[in-house]
Amino acid sequence: MRNAKPEIRIIFIIILLLFFAFLFIPLIVLFLRSFMMEDGGIGLSNYIASLTNDALIHAIGNSFKVSGVTAIITTTLAFALAYAVNCTKIYQPLKGAVKIGILIPMLIPTITYGFAIMYTFGNQGLLTKLFGRNLFEIYGFNGLLIGYVIYTLPAAFLLIHNSFKYIDKKFIIVSKLMGDRTLRSFWNTVTRPLLGALGGAFVLSFILSFTDFGIPASLGGTYDVVATQLYQAMLGSIPDFSEGAVIAVLMLFPAVIGIFLLNYLERFNFHYDKFSETEITSSKFRDSFYGVISAIILLGMLSIFAVMFITPFVTAFPYDLSFTWEHIAGVFQSNDLVSVYKNSLIVAVLTAVLGTVIAYGSALLNARTKVKGRQTVDVFSMITNTVPGMVLGLSYLLLFNGSSLKGTFLIIVLCNIMHYFTTPYLMAKNALTKMNPGWETSGELLGDSWVKTVYRVILPNSISTVLEMFSYYFMNAMVTISGVIFLVSAQTTVVASKINELQHFAQFNEIFVLSVLIFLTNLLVRSVCEVLQKKVEIYKK
Amino acid sequence: MLLELQNISKQFDQKVVLENINLTINSGEIVSLLGPSGSGKTTLLNIILGLTKIEQGKVIFNDEDVSHVAMKNRGFNIVFQDYALFPHLNAYENIVYGLRNKKEGASAEDVREYIDFLELKPHLKKRIGELSGGQKQRVALARTLVTKPKLLLLDEPLSALDGVIKESIKERIKSIAKEFNLTTIIVTHDPEEALTISDKILIINQGNISQFGTPFEIINQPKNDFVKEFILRQLQIKRQNIFHLFGEKYA
Ligand SMILES: Nc1ncnc2c1ncn2[C@@H]1O[C@H](COP(=O)(O)OP(=O)(O)OP(=O)(O)O)[C@@H](O)[C@H]1O
Ligand SMILES: [Mg+2]
Repeated sequence: MRNAKPEIRIIFIIILLLFFAFLFIPLIVLFLRSFMMEDGGIGLSNYIASLTNDALIHAIGNSFKVSGVTAIITTTLAFALAYAVNCTKIYQPLKGAVKIGILIPMLIPTITYGFAIMYTFGNQGLLTKLFGRNLFEIYGFNGLLIGYVIYTLPAAFLLIHNSFKYIDKKFIIVSKLMGDRTLRSFWNTVTRPLLGALGGAFVLSFILSFTDFGIPASLGGTYDVVATQLYQAMLGSIPDFSEGAVIAVLMLFPAVIGIFLLNYLERFNFHYDKFSETEITSSKFRDSFYGVISAIILLGMLSIFAVMFITPFVTAFPYDLSFTWEHIAGVFQSNDLVSVYKNSLIVAVLTAVLGTVIAYGSALLNARTKVKGRQTVDVFSMITNTVPGMVLGLSYLLLFNGSSLKGTFLIIVLCNIMHYFTTPYLMAKNALTKMNPGWETSGELLGDSWVKTVYRVILPNSISTVLEMFSYYFMNAMVTISGVIFLVSAQTTVVASKINELQHFAQFNEIFVLSVLIFLTNLLVRSVCEVLQKKVEIYKK
Repeated sequence: MLLELQNISKQFDQKVVLENINLTINSGEIVSLLGPSGSGKTTLLNIILGLTKIEQGKVIFNDEDVSHVAMKNRGFNIVFQDYALFPHLNAYENIVYGLRNKKEGASAEDVREYIDFLELKPHLKKRIGELSGGQKQRVALARTLVTKPKLLLLDEPLSALDGVIKESIKERIKSIAKEFNLTTIIVTHDPEEALTISDKILIINQGNISQFGTPFEIINQPKNDFVKEFILRQLQIKRQNIFHLFGEKYA
């Protein structure tokens, strides 16, 4: 362990090469491209042209506005839900429903949210019919807002929910015993220790909304945001790669600042390292209040997705609600759509397998070896966390456009692996760090080589994490659109990008059928992983 | 003579942790490394094991300089303070883990003997999580003994155990060393433990050898104030407390 073994060094070199080829060089090329002028020289003219372009400035303003409002609403709702789950005695099954229901949006492509919202609030929407009139204009700000809130709520909730676990609820009782008033007690024992997490949830929701493409692609209407501008610049009627590069760099900016903020906010988090399980006191008013709030949020979200499950099974939503298999059968009879679904499966499986191997290998190097320069992996992880999918995809397009990688599954898979690297890497690192540091030495003294110890001891003890990493990569590869929109070709189209095409032909039934397929596939993978994880747990006991 | 340490020094980024350690350990002896927290005991043990590299000095084993021999090839083995047992395997699988790698290791006969000797038979099928502290300790010991180490190293083998079990493991270690004529080095920070278990004691203070000798020598000819103040004083307080508890009639 002390002086790096050859096999460790080889793994390290492979990982370094991967990140150089598929993260650093593409980003550098993107930067250079943004400064490259028409005559081939280097200069700021692209930036000047873009920043004097009223439409773009307007779109940036719109993005800031709608992302900011989203972040405020999402953080508030996520906090209410997390508080309800962790600090109240609301009806137990409701808690369970919140914890599971909130995750549903993660299983569905964001572009589908848009159509679900249309079918709920639009001219012919479910709620519109119920109320007999349009509640509000959904194309533009309102629609984006609803979509972004749904999209960012799961991530924000998980972040705050996890922080709640580190709060010692005994302090709530202590504070009460000290005679604190409700508000003061709430501030000192809940809000203050959670400030970091709340700030984090705000920043995270902001970045996610700012960089998402799926929701504006379906609901944006004439309300332009940065993501749609970037798409227009690259794949619109007159592609302008220089402008695209500039917009991508501009999109990267808030993301970089956001990640720094997230790291900074991390410091505000309290870490009670030893905390006790504490009985939560009852309070009729509090419990009914939070019970109602959580039920409303959850039902609101589910009602929007409900149309996605209803539409494909009725003849012509919402006019003719008679049951039919027609649409489902139609999709399965269409070679085109079946092959798109197959493509998605191929991409997701490859991403999950290769991604898990790379992220696990990186974490292994970082957490369990003393190889020189192993900290670079942390830097990679921070960078991949910063770069939005659209920016990464665009930089691949610029770099690999002339190469044989263009239009292959491999380039999509690599883009996904880099795009979603941070979370699985941190999962693995976290698990590996907690393991007994003496295992490699013990294995070696008992005659194993390093690789053999990893295979015989380290891996069997982290199966649960590996499954978690696998399903994370799989689900995200299944739903992502921003990451792959620039990389798919006619042969490699995946479901999410196909939906973007189908909307131009108003084939909403097909859109919903495909979305339900993705949802069910993700649900299946997630459940299988969970069953396997449980099995491992039992087997370990 | 079996193990010889010559002029061993160790620094971790400028900070001197061990300074000029010279020492000879004879075959079959049990030697304790005794010293306060941070004095460098674990570091010295890891140097002997080959886990920690030394820039200065030599480790000589049976007249052969092993200073630059890799840990794996020295033929020593260690039981870590936290045992580092593999939780996905049961007790038996842990014990025989190293067998498939080492041809010169223990035979099936030997393994049975270790298991009997350490009274592990009833626990072989148990998972590591189901074992008590003392049982884990014995499994770890068995796993190490199976590789037939030429030198057995134990890092604080007793500190995680409670009273009665502590005494029985202590006896067990002693008898293993005698029965298998195994040279054993034990790290501890408890003077009573060191003096009762070992043939010789190496007292380390701030990276230096304070005294090296038999229990008799340490008690009767303490070499300096550190030995007197920190080692003997502790024992005297303990003795007083015990006398006090049991009353004069036991004195
Ligand atoms: N890898 C390392 N890097 C830097 N300093 C170290 C390292 N390992 C040990 N040290 C330092 O060396 C000194 C001796 O450590 P060592 O672990 O040998 O002490 P010890 O006598 O075993 O203490 P304890 O009884 O607490 O286990 C300590 O000051 C420790 O901080
Ligand atoms: Mg120690």
